[in-house]
Amino acid sequence: MTHQIELSGVNKYYGAYHALRDIDLKIRKGSFVALVGPSGCGKSTLLRSLAGLESISAGDLIIAGERMNGVPPRKRGIAMVFQSYALYPHMTVEENLTYSLRIRGVKKAEAKKAAEEVAATTGLSNLLHRYPRELSGGQRQRVAMSRAIIRHPKAFLFDEPLSNLDAALRVHMRKEIRSLHDRLGATSVYVTHDQIEAMTMADHVVVMRQGVIEQQGPPLELYDRPVNKFVAGFIGSPAMNFIPAKVGADGRSLVFELGNPQFVTLDRPLPTASKLIVGLRPEHLRLVQEGDAQIRLPVGVVESTGSMTYITSATTPEINVVVTDRQPLRSGEMMSLGFDPAHLHLFDTDSERRIDIAG
Amino acid sequence: MSETWRNRLMLAIAIVLAAIYLFPLYWMYITTLKSGSAMFATPPSFWPSDPQWSTYAYVWESRNLARYMWNSLVIAFGAVALITVLGTGCAYVLARYRNGWIDIGLFLILMLQVLPASLMITPIFVGFSQLGMLEYPRTAVIIAIAAKSMPFFVVLVRATFMSVPMELEEAALVDGNSRIGAFFHIVLPLARNGILVSAILIFMQAFGEFVYSKSIIQAVEYQPASVGLNSFMGPNTNEWNNIMAFATIYVTPILAVFVLLQRRIVSGLTSGALK
Repeated sequence: MTHQIELSGVNKYYGAYHALRDIDLKIRKGSFVALVGPSGCGKSTLLRSLAGLESISAGDLIIAGERMNGVPPRKRGIAMVFQSYALYPHMTVEENLTYSLRIRGVKKAEAKKAAEEVAATTGLSNLLHRYPRELSGGQRQRVAMSRAIIRHPKAFLFDEPLSNLDAALRVHMRKEIRSLHDRLGATSVYVTHDQIEAMTMADHVVVMRQGVIEQQGPPLELYDRPVNKFVAGFIGSPAMNFIPAKVGADGRSLVFELGNPQFVTLDRPLPTASKLIVGLRPEHLRLVQEGDAQIRLPVGVVESTGSMTYITSATTPEINVVVTDRQPLRSGEMMSLGFDPAHLHLFDTDSERRIDIAG
Repeated sequence: MSETWRNRLMLAIAIVLAAIYLFPLYWMYITTLKSGSAMFATPPSFWPSDPQWSTYAYVWESRNLARYMWNSLVIAFGAVALITVLGTGCAYVLARYRNGWIDIGLFLILMLQVLPASLMITPIFVGFSQLGMLEYPRTAVIIAIAAKSMPFFVVLVRATFMSVPMELEEAALVDGNSRIGAFFHIVLPLARNGILVSAILIFMQAFGEFVYSKSIIQAVEYQPASVGLNSFMGPNTNEWNNIMAFATIYVTPILAVFVLLQRRIVSGLTSGALK
C-alpha cells in the first residue's frame, strides 16, 4: 500500500449542482500534490471532502487504506491549513498548537514539550505566549502550519494558504512549505489557484475545471504536453498564445489566421482536420532576422522589466512574445518571429483536445 | 471657523436634549429628599434645602421593599437563565444554517416580537390557568417573560454567532473535536461578550416587567417591585416623596449596572462582540 489517499469515482452534488464529477485520484505516500484550477472548479470542495467537512455523494474515499466516506473529520487523522489560518483568537500560540493534543487527552507537560519542539522548527519559539492578533501575517501562517505539524497527521491539506500574504513573503513561504514537507516526509494536498505555486511546489499537479479533473501528472509533463486547450492556457505564465489555423493544401504546412494569413511550413505530416488551433508559448517565440522568419507581425505594445521584454503584437488575436534581452522595437514596426516546430501544440477546434503530430 | 461653530451648536443641542430626557430622573431623586411641604411649594425648589434621608429607611420598612426586590430579582434571574440556555442554542442553529425553513423560523421569531404583552396576556393567562400554573405564579411569570423576550435575545445572539467564522469551527473539527465540543470550546468563548450583553439587556427588561406580573401574580408576597410600586399609587395619593423613594431604590441598581457596562453594551451591540 503505497497510496496514502485514493479517490475513485467521487461525485458531489449540492442539490442539482454537480460540484465534483467522477474524480479518480491516487496520491502516493510522501508526495506533494497540488490541486489547481480557476475559482469554482471544485478544488476546494475536493479538499474539504478529504477533510470530512463535506460529505461525498458517491464514490470511495480511502485514506491510509481505510474507507473514510462517512467518517467525521476528527477520526480521519488529517490536518488542514486554512486560507484564513483559522487560528483560535482566544488562545495563545501555545494553546493553539496544543489544542488538538489536549482534546486527545495528552498530558499538559507533554503537550507543552511538543509545542516547544514544533515552535523551534518553525521559528515561533519566542511567540508562544502571544495571541494571534499580536502576530504578523507571516507569523500567523507559521502558527497555522505548526498546528498541523504537531499532530503528525496522515496527510496535510492546504487550502490556498499563501493567498493572504504579500508577494515576497509568498515566494519565501513556498520554499519553506516545500522543505518542511520534505523534512517531515509527509503527504500533502495543496489547493491553489496560482499555477506558479502548483508548478514550483508539487510533484504531481491536478488541473481541475467545473468539477472535472482535466489532467494530472508531473508539472513539466503538463507544461510540455497539455491534453487540451484549457490546460495549455492555464499552465505557464504568461499564458500560451492560441492562433486559429488551417492545414495547407500540401498537408505539411499551416496557415495562421492573424488578420492576414501567415504561411508556415512545418515539413511534417499534419492531421487531416482542416481547421485547428495552434498553441505557442510566448517564451518559445524568438525574434529572428527577416530572412529566417516563420511569421511576421506588426508590433503593438513593448514592455520591459529590465530582465525581460514582453512584446504584444497588433493582431487579432494578440500574440505575446517574451524575450530575455532588450529590444529596440517600436509600436507599428514589423517583427520577424521564429520558433522550433517541436514547441508547437495543436488542438482540435471543436473538442479543444490535443492533436499529436508525428515526428 | 464654521466647522467649530457647527460642532458647538450640535453639542449645545445635545446637552439640551439630554437635560430634557434626564429631567424626570433628576426630579425623582430630588423629590425623595423633600419634606411634605417642600414637595408642594410654588415655585418648586430645584435643590432640597433640608434633605430628608430618613424617607428611604421608612419606605424600605413600611412597604416591605426587601420582599418586592427579592421577587423582582428571582423573576429577572429566572427569565434570563431560561432565555440564555434555550436562546443560545436556538440562535446558533439559526446562525449556522441557511435555507428556506430557517428564513421562515426567523420570520416567525420576529413576528413574536411584534405582539405586545398586553395583547398576549389574555391567552397566556387562560392557558396557564388551564394548566394549573397559576399555583406557581413566579414561575408562570418567568415562562411568560421568557416567551416574550426570547426573540429579542435570539436575534441579537444570532448576529454574534454569525460573526464567529465558520472556519474556526471547521479547524476545531479537523483538530479532533466533535461538533458539540467545537461549540463549547471555540464558538461559545468567542460569542461570550455578545451573549453577556444580550443577557444584561434581557435582565433589565425582566427586572422592570409589569404587565405579566400584575396579571398573573395575585398574592402580594410574590409580587415584584414593579407591581408593588403600582399598588403604592392610588387616586388620592399625595406621599410622592415615598413613592419616589420606592422608585429610586428600584431603579438605581439597574441604572448603575447600565452605566458601568454601558461601553461594553454599546460595543457588543454594534460589533458583534468579537475581539
